[in-house]
Amino acid sequence: MKINIYQIINFFYKIYYWIVIIFLLFPLIVVIPISFVDSKYLQFPPKSFSLRWYENYFNDANFFVSTLNSIYLGFFSSIIATIVGTMAALALSKNNFFGKKILIGFLISPLIFPVIILGLGLYIFFSRLNLNENFLSLIIAHAALVMPFSLVIVLTSLINFDTTLERAARVMGANAFRAFWNVTFPYIRPAVISSALFSFFISFDELVIALFISGKIWTLPQRIWQDLRYEIDPTIAAVASVLIIITFVGILTGTLIQKRAEKFIGNIK
Amino acid sequence: MQKSNLLLLPAISLTLIIIIFPVFELFQSSFFDPDFTTKHLEKFFSKKLYLKVLINTVKISIGTTFLCFVLGYPTAYFIAHSGKRFRGYFLFLILLPFWISILIRSYSWMAVLGIEGVINTIFISIGIIDKPIRMLYTTGTVYLAMVQIMLPIMILTIYSTMIRIEEDYIKAARILGANPFQAFIKIYFPLSFAGVASGSIIIFILSMGFFITPALVGGKKDMMIGNLINFQINQLLNWGFASFIGLVLLITTLIIVLLFVWLTKFKIENRFEN
Repeated sequence: MKINIYQIINFFYKIYYWIVIIFLLFPLIVVIPISFVDSKYLQFPPKSFSLRWYENYFNDANFFVSTLNSIYLGFFSSIIATIVGTMAALALSKNNFFGKKILIGFLISPLIFPVIILGLGLYIFFSRLNLNENFLSLIIAHAALVMPFSLVIVLTSLINFDTTLERAARVMGANAFRAFWNVTFPYIRPAVISSALFSFFISFDELVIALFISGKIWTLPQRIWQDLRYEIDPTIAAVASVLIIITFVGILTGTLIQKRAEKFIGNIK
Repeated sequence: MQKSNLLLLPAISLTLIIIIFPVFELFQSSFFDPDFTTKHLEKFFSKKLYLKVLINTVKISIGTTFLCFVLGYPTAYFIAHSGKRFRGYFLFLILLPFWISILIRSYSWMAVLGIEGVINTIFISIGIIDKPIRMLYTTGTVYLAMVQIMLPIMILTIYSTMIRIEEDYIKAARILGANPFQAFIKIYFPLSFAGVASGSIIIFILSMGFFITPALVGGKKDMMIGNLINFQINQLLNWGFASFIGLVLLITTLIIVLLFVWLTKFKIENRFEN
């Protein structure tokens, strides 16, 4: 039997892919068993198991407050970003005008600046207005930071949308809002939901801007950052494991929503 | 003017007020205190340390970008050329680590590579080494962690251009007598280069502003510009000088990106002319 040389190459190629995947995922997977150790130090494999670091995390008032802060922050900034981004995406997909490409470039420019530059600029800007150490400033700053993601996700979903559908609704007597709500929105809903989800995760995880402008209002990443620089306590491993699991589940949900939407739209066509 | 263009207003004002305007503030506070001054500029260029940190930042960023290209290109190729049914799953595995926070990913390397970390414990128990090796707080680890963080971006951008390449071009090249290697170098690679370029630019920009990872897994000599800025603000409260360093970072990044665009465009055109 002759083995094709391409089959051999393909085989090694597959191995290469899995090595890359292991490189990307291994450190994250390892953190989870470590979080169950019973000792005061990181241990692998753990000699005995306990939930004490999880208890530590959930009972620590500081950790609790900063987790709550991060949830609020993620929630509000993701809602603002998604609404603002979706509105802009609707206008951009509907109308053609001079300089549209430049405007899109301008609106996604927050993605291009190094975050530390934005953090520094915002710090100076807000302290001039005396708005530093203010939760609202942090929400607005994060909303501006993640808005491009919503814009891009919703705009992409609108590429194949037939705008005559909405016009038809208008002709039949629906007002602008109703035409949007009953015709366009169902079409872009999956994109809107996943953009809200992704924005939430970005804001929830964001450290650099929070570090610069939030002052004494600590977010969870700030709390972790503070801890990491002074000691490596297994509590962080517990926090990290919780975050890894939540992110896995969240991203899986987001991806599934988009997958189902693609299938749905495919069926219509 | 269409009425629905009003929907753009919130997005434009948000970007203008929260992103663009503060960046301009940076320029102002680098050169005015409150009158025009060049003291920050003089300070930056008078000490060797600051230039060294700048050069180190550029070095690490270029190195990370290059390693991501070398590791990511074959991976993207593998995904783009595997069966349609599996592609989604293969991509999903790349996306997973991408969404985990940079902080957690840097931390996990601390847990893996520390003196009492996973690697040292395993190697000692198997008997490969008898004393733990110091891996954390070295330059190598900074590269390792940064490549792990940036690699998914490179894979995704290259993948998205690869799936749009028409198989027929490669077939045509083969029929006209090119061997697989020639077909790849002359046709496939130039066609996929747009993805390589945009991935490289994104990764380079992100790396230039990095400071979480080098601060956590790097040693003292791995200081990057981001760490310097953070230090100036947190320890010395010197935000005039911090802004100037930020400005240097922004300008250096811009120059290198433009240089890259200029150089690669030149080369691509050359290749097609031959």
